[in-house]
Amino acid sequence: MNTASTNPNTLQSGVLGGISSSKSLKAFGETIWKTKTAKVNAELFTLTYGSIVSQLCSDYQRDFNKVNNQLFAMGRSIGVRLIEDFIARSALPRCDNMVQTSEVISKVAFKVFLNITPHVTNWSSAKDAFSLILDENPLSDFVELPMDAMKELWYSNILCGVLKGALEMVQLDCQIWFVSDVLRGDAHTEMKVKLNRILKDEIPAGED
Amino acid sequence: MAIYSFWIFDRHCNCIFDREWTLKADSSSGTTNSKQNEDTAKLIYGMIYSLQSISRRISSSTNSVKTISTGKYRIHLLPTTTGIWFVLFSDLKQQDLSQVLQYLYGEIYVRYVARNMLSPVDFAESTNETRGQGFRKINNRNFIRAVDRFLGPMVSQL
Repeated sequence: MNTASTNPNTLQSGVLGGISSSKSLKAFGETIWKTKTAKVNAELFTLTYGSIVSQLCSDYQRDFNKVNNQLFAMGRSIGVRLIEDFIARSALPRCDNMVQTSEVISKVAFKVFLNITPHVTNWSSAKDAFSLILDENPLSDFVELPMDAMKELWYSNILCGVLKGALEMVQLDCQIWFVSDVLRGDAHTEMKVKLNRILKDEIPAGED
Repeated sequence: MAIYSFWIFDRHCNCIFDREWTLKADSSSGTTNSKQNEDTAKLIYGMIYSLQSISRRISSSTNSVKTISTGKYRIHLLPTTTGIWFVLFSDLKQQDLSQVLQYLYGEIYVRYVARNMLSPVDFAESTNETRGQGFRKINNRNFIRAVDRFLGPMVSQL
């Protein structure tokens, strides 16, 4: 990993001031992507993920529910570690509301780790649930699902797990699942994020 | 001596790493993850926690304490968004060590603990070990060595 060439403090104060404006977040995500992120071949990544999924399918004898759950669990343990990497690189503070959270996820997090910027839509009236539309998904680049997997397998389910684990570490207890996937013949790849509750920071014993 | 000690607290209010230097001339002196420092760690946590909650009550929830100075030493603090605290004790000549703390987090903690899949990333294994009741420490040799290599030269700095 390359070392930070820019002063994290100047970045932080810039973003703290402008976190409400989505335009600066977008530029912020692009700066981190350009200056602080080591690049690898996307095909290597796509094929590695593909071989993990196909191995899981054969290990679980094509029980795709189990494969989905396993991918989710794997993603979650990636997410709880990846968040540290993300925070160390971006120095972003906690978000005040889910609107900010969605902006950070789509414009900074997805940009930095996958170089894509999903759209945020379908807000619930309480502003606690939203959808991410993934126009391009590097995980499923060369993939065509076999007939028996079409109905049940969520090929990129690992992403849900990653988001779940990462958000949990910043005290957001969320539910995350795929609603549709172009691999299954749907029009979009849509991922739903729903906030269950905001977890409380722990306090030392004897303080309450 | 420029730096006296370095501490990490996790989001369960536990001290998960401590490194204290005792001799100015010898940057390998002192203790690492010492049992004897348990009570000191609790006191440090309590002090920072109180000041933190005062400063948040006065301003906003994102406002956090950065340095605390006393007559003899200065404490530098980096609380991460994920709830980990990096705490560095130095002499009064050190004005701002936030870059040093950022490096310790981004280049040493993330590299040797978060990216090390065989090291735990959560140091409380059950609810009995949360809220400051835990005892587990970061024991990775690579991490300890990297901390010593990075902070060692600053121990005897003028």
